[in-house]
Amino acid sequence: MIYVIDHNDSFTYNVVHQFSLFDEVVCENYNEIDKLKLEKASVIVFSPGPGNPKNYPITSMIYKKFKGKKKIIGICLGFQQILYCEGAKIVEQKKIYHGFQSSVRVVNKKSLFKKGLNFKVGRYHSLRLKEPFKTKNFEITMRCLNSNTAMSFENKKDKIYGFQFHPESFLTVNGNLLIKKILSA
Amino acid sequence: MNKQNQLTDIHRTKKPYIIYKSKNGFDLYTNFSKKIILNQKNIYEFLNKKRKKSFKKTDLFIGFFGYELLNNLIGIQLPKQKKINFPKGIFYKPEKKLSFSNILKYREDKGFKLNNQFKININRKSYSKIFNKFKKKIKSGETYQIKICTKYKTKSKLDPLDFFCRLSKTNLAPEAFLIRDVNYSIISCSPENLITKEGSLITSKPIAGTVKKNNKMNKLKALKYFRKNIKETKEHNMIVDMERNDLSRICQVGTVKLSKTKIVEEYKDLFHYVTLIKGKLKNKISNLDIIKAMMPGGSVIGCPKINTLNLLNHQEKENRNIYTGSFGYIKFNGDMRFNIIIRSILNYKDISEISVASGVVVDSNAKNEFNENYLKAKALIDLFK
Repeated sequence: MIYVIDHNDSFTYNVVHQFSLFDEVVCENYNEIDKLKLEKASVIVFSPGPGNPKNYPITSMIYKKFKGKKKIIGICLGFQQILYCEGAKIVEQKKIYHGFQSSVRVVNKKSLFKKGLNFKVGRYHSLRLKEPFKTKNFEITMRCLNSNTAMSFENKKDKIYGFQFHPESFLTVNGNLLIKKILSA
Repeated sequence: MNKQNQLTDIHRTKKPYIIYKSKNGFDLYTNFSKKIILNQKNIYEFLNKKRKKSFKKTDLFIGFFGYELLNNLIGIQLPKQKKINFPKGIFYKPEKKLSFSNILKYREDKGFKLNNQFKININRKSYSKIFNKFKKKIKSGETYQIKICTKYKTKSKLDPLDFFCRLSKTNLAPEAFLIRDVNYSIISCSPENLITKEGSLITSKPIAGTVKKNNKMNKLKALKYFRKNIKETKEHNMIVDMERNDLSRICQVGTVKLSKTKIVEEYKDLFHYVTLIKGKLKNKISNLDIIKAMMPGGSVIGCPKINTLNLLNHQEKENRNIYTGSFGYIKFNGDMRFNIIIRSILNYKDISEISVASGVVVDSNAKNEFNENYLKAKALIDLFK
């Protein structure tokens, strides 16, 4: 079972539908977590959402509790939330991407995806990862072709994955395949 | 008796009636046997009540949900605002339905003068201030897009049928409607359908992107314009993903699909950039669930919905009343059709208000949006001439 933590976003149910193609999904608001169901889940997904990772201490606690014990996937805010918990700085960016279709490239040969592959993806983010950022076992695996902004990370050892873009957006080509591959990793 | 005289006759009886745009013309509903004024409590009973399966074409409730009521339904209470104490929602049970063609003929007998001196509730300077405040909130990620409402008001008597006929002549909008009741009227040329539900099929047709029609602008050029215009494209994309989300709350996995993606629809004076989204409802989804998932319609609020609603509710000093609520009907068999109430005049106790909103996104600027607001209101304000 996949447990999606909703950060009051207007894209969360697109995420739910996408993950539901592969497994049973439970989705609950970050303020109303069902601890029993969360314990039972094999995968936890942090949804997109407004604001900054520091606004969601409960999600940070859940991350720290289950890191290394369950597969954890973060999307947009969820991506930032995981990196924030790993000590990264999340900062405002000059150019803001809301409803923007960009090309991203796989830049790391440790990625589940083939290095050099390009994807078209949908983006909705005001904030970004401040670089340089390095922490144990985390690899930045995709970057925006234009701005070089970090677009995904993978931690194979602890099975933690994150996308700054939105695999569930209609702007993302082959988003379902991305999720399928992460889920079966 | 010919039909157009019939329209005039119904109007002159002073009986309440409603006109709603149909596929090929207009439907008129009247002889109301029930009028339900909705509030935060009775709305649940109204929506959950089991009714006999529909056989007659008048087996439906027609009316509107105001903006505040739709907020209340999803657990959002409005802060203290200036109010005119207009009902939060009203539905009628008609006993008579008539159909008319697209050409409505009516000659008013004017016994009064229209007052076209409108007052605006936010001037250019305060608008800029508000605008910049929200731009900061977009930069910090609290909202991705927000629509601030401006109101134009005037004290004037008006003849709602005359207004509606003149408006429909110049702007035949697919979700146009008129409500004429004893103490209020609503005249609308809404172009936007929020919910069409037939059986287990549901569609929504968000509009984001408008361009004026002129000699140089044809349908193909309008499409090129929208595709090239990054700001319009981004706003449109965001609304499409948001409406997909709202439909996904109530639809079966894998059934929410874009059946028409970013097409241009042609109206008398303008082109709209439109997407049609379809889905198949889950079993055991009630009309209350559907309304809570879809309303208030995202394209007139901003995104993400909950946070953005809270931001704008704390900004706006006056109640939106009907604006960005929904008008439409619920048939006894459960089928529904609802629009988003925009481009409308609410006339209550001889005071008319026209509300408009345009979006703050990162690359919009206060001056353009302020002017766009006026453009949106202008067609309605011009009716007072």
